[in-house]
Amino acid sequence: MYRVGVGLVWLWRATFGALFPTTCKYHPSCSQYAIDALHQKGLVRGSLLAAWRLLRCNPWSRGGFDPVT
Amino acid sequence: MILFSPLTPLEHAARHILNFLHYDIGLTWAWSIVALTVIVRMVLVPLTVKQIHSMQNLQRYAPQMKEIQKKYKSDRQKQNEELMKFYRENNINPAASCLPMLVQLPVFIALYYALRNFSHEPATDHPGSLSFLHFIPSIADHTTSHWGGFLLLVVYVGSQMASTLFMAATVDKVQRYLFMAMPLVFVFVIAHFPAGLVLYWVTTNLWTVGQGLITRRLVPKTPPPELFKRSSRTPPKDDGTSGNGATPEEPKPAPQPQAGPRKVRRKKKAGRR
Repeated sequence: MYRVGVGLVWLWRATFGALFPTTCKYHPSCSQYAIDALHQKGLVRGSLLAAWRLLRCNPWSRGGFDPVT
Repeated sequence: MILFSPLTPLEHAARHILNFLHYDIGLTWAWSIVALTVIVRMVLVPLTVKQIHSMQNLQRYAPQMKEIQKKYKSDRQKQNEELMKFYRENNINPAASCLPMLVQLPVFIALYYALRNFSHEPATDHPGSLSFLHFIPSIADHTTSHWGGFLLLVVYVGSQMASTLFMAATVDKVQRYLFMAMPLVFVFVIAHFPAGLVLYWVTTNLWTVGQGLITRRLVPKTPPPELFKRSSRTPPKDDGTSGNGATPEEPKPAPQPQAGPRKVRRKKKAGRR
């Protein structure tokens, strides 16, 4: 089931992600974090973790090394 | 089709705003799209201005960052990790962040569906001209259905490249060129979109460029900080927090090649104390 989420992330990467020239302030990047989270935690928890990461990836946060734990 | 139902409210919202701009303010449909874009970007101003400031700050550290990139050329993961460590050590807030970029996506999708409806519904449902500045006959038609669309695509490529100059938060030259070349590839995809959507994109790009120019003018460039050429009086741990332009010394690009060893030497000195 988590493959649906991973597919969506790849869709994002191939379309809008490639269009907007920015690199993420976190490592791994938000999209990679989402893929890792979906793999490790499944669709629901993985999606929630990815959403939380996206919210944290704002101009006021510090960024840095932040893998899925 | 799967995407249709959850996005219907978005589409309705976009249509409501366009209707308001068209019927109440009196703009044409095309100018309503431009106005909608301006509204979205105005809402995002606090986010993007902060981002541009961070980017300018980041440019000051470009020599040191390039050094790290060169050092870990073969291992991208290690390179990223080292860069993140460098950010943390020097109290840098990396410019790029995903949220502002993501916020624009629903607007874009909503507009896509709203414009698609324009071409599906009878003209009586949206009275008024769909043309833009006389060179695009209908913003609901495919961009390439008229010569004016091609002109719009040329403007799109130019504006996208210009906005990349301001927003691409990377000091890696190759990556920068790649970002610059991106619109040349995407122009083929965008050509199938309604002209109104390209209009949205062009407006948002031009806004980015204008915003970048204004921010650059308003914020004076600060000289790059001397990260590694500091006296050993300061312990290495304090280096980052107090290194933000605190040293009045003349900045030199010279320390880049020896950045690594110098740091080690300083550590040794600190250890001897």
